[in-house]
Amino acid sequence: MNSNPNKSIVLISPSDVILAGLFEILKGSIAGEIIRLHRSDEIIDYPEIEGNTLVIATIDELEKGGELLRQILSVKGAVQFLPLLSEMSTAQPNLSVSLSDSAALICYKVNDVLNSFASASIKDPDTELTRREIEVLQLLTKGLSNKEIADHLFVSTHTVISHRKNISEKTGIKSASGLTMYAILKKIIDVSDINPDELI
Amino acid sequence: MELFNENSKLAAVIHKDHSLLPVINRLGIKLGFGDKTIRNICEERGIDLNFFVETINVFHYEAYFPEKRLLDFSVSIVIDYLVKTHQYYVNYLMPENDRLVELFLLSSPNESTENELVRKFYTKFKDEFVIHINFEEREMFPYILKLSEAIANPDLRTSFKQNYPGYSIEGFEKEHSNMDDKMDDLKNIIIKYLPPNYDQNRGNAFLSNIFLFERDMKNHSRIEDNILIPKVKQLEKVLLNHE
Repeated sequence: MNSNPNKSIVLISPSDVILAGLFEILKGSIAGEIIRLHRSDEIIDYPEIEGNTLVIATIDELEKGGELLRQILSVKGAVQFLPLLSEMSTAQPNLSVSLSDSAALICYKVNDVLNSFASASIKDPDTELTRREIEVLQLLTKGLSNKEIADHLFVSTHTVISHRKNISEKTGIKSASGLTMYAILKKIIDVSDINPDELI
Repeated sequence: MELFNENSKLAAVIHKDHSLLPVINRLGIKLGFGDKTIRNICEERGIDLNFFVETINVFHYEAYFPEKRLLDFSVSIVIDYLVKTHQYYVNYLMPENDRLVELFLLSSPNESTENELVRKFYTKFKDEFVIHINFEEREMFPYILKLSEAIANPDLRTSFKQNYPGYSIEGFEKEHSNMDDKMDDLKNIIIKYLPPNYDQNRGNAFLSNIFLFERDMKNHSRIEDNILIPKVKQLEKVLLNHE
């Protein structure tokens, strides 16, 4: 799971002012998503979170919902918490975010945690397709259905769907016609192998 | 990120966020409005003040969600706005995309297979766009307008129920996703995978227009999801309670 390159930040505070402020400060710091919640249990509305997550939440919300957050998010990757304090903490200033911190300091603390995810990961985001994924892509561009691809490769339809999901995540291309274009541009297939009028 | 209200000067609003220009056009306002506030302008032109303010805020601030008490305008105003948005896409943004993509492709030193592929894919993207517009204008909007008429006029309720037996807004599957996927794919193909032998400025111009289109489409969806659909659900409940 740690090889998953995705990182998300979850901000939790009942205050719109605080959520908007932290979002503005942090939105440039992360390639992944920043999710803003009023209560920790709203996390169940975001099943699409993948990879490592940094949760920044008030002590109150961490006490109430910390366990639930850990349960849900640790299935997807590593989870770290930064408590959000209204007063400056003298005890462990680097392990919390205070409302009186400067924007630069908040970015610095958050990046520190995000970087610790990176060093725990096995390698950088891997955008190369595996051999199996290339096979699936080739069959896909011939117009085969998931079921047909599964039969052809002697695997389950479920496995094919999971390969397709990985292909789309790595390439950033979701539609079948877009993937066909990708395969041609990357010379995975030749344009003469397919009928472009049908497939693109 | 600030929110605007009826006392904001419209010129100042536009200076803050010029992407609102086509939005205020659709709401019935043309350039040359001097130093008037939003309230002045709306009163002069007979534009629903609440709807105007809510719409520019939804557009301007991604996380904005209107308070329920502000949703008291009629669905026909919202639909009129959404149809004008479609017209802006059909009459301006799409032709502009057509022009810019062609300029971009022609900047390649030689007519290539890649160009042919991009053209084909671009056409697919436009097909999805037409499907989306037709779905809303031929199916979803007429249903909503008839529902709202049936609420206003009890005599129409029987015929409404005959024409739309068991219909509800939830049954109208959102048709946005295919088009969004194609738009994302088009951007990624050009940004990440097309060989770099095209004129970069023309590529940027085409991409900028696509990003503009994307932002406008997202806001179009948010106005449907955050303003129109809650309102329609409310109407459906009223109709149910009359049974």
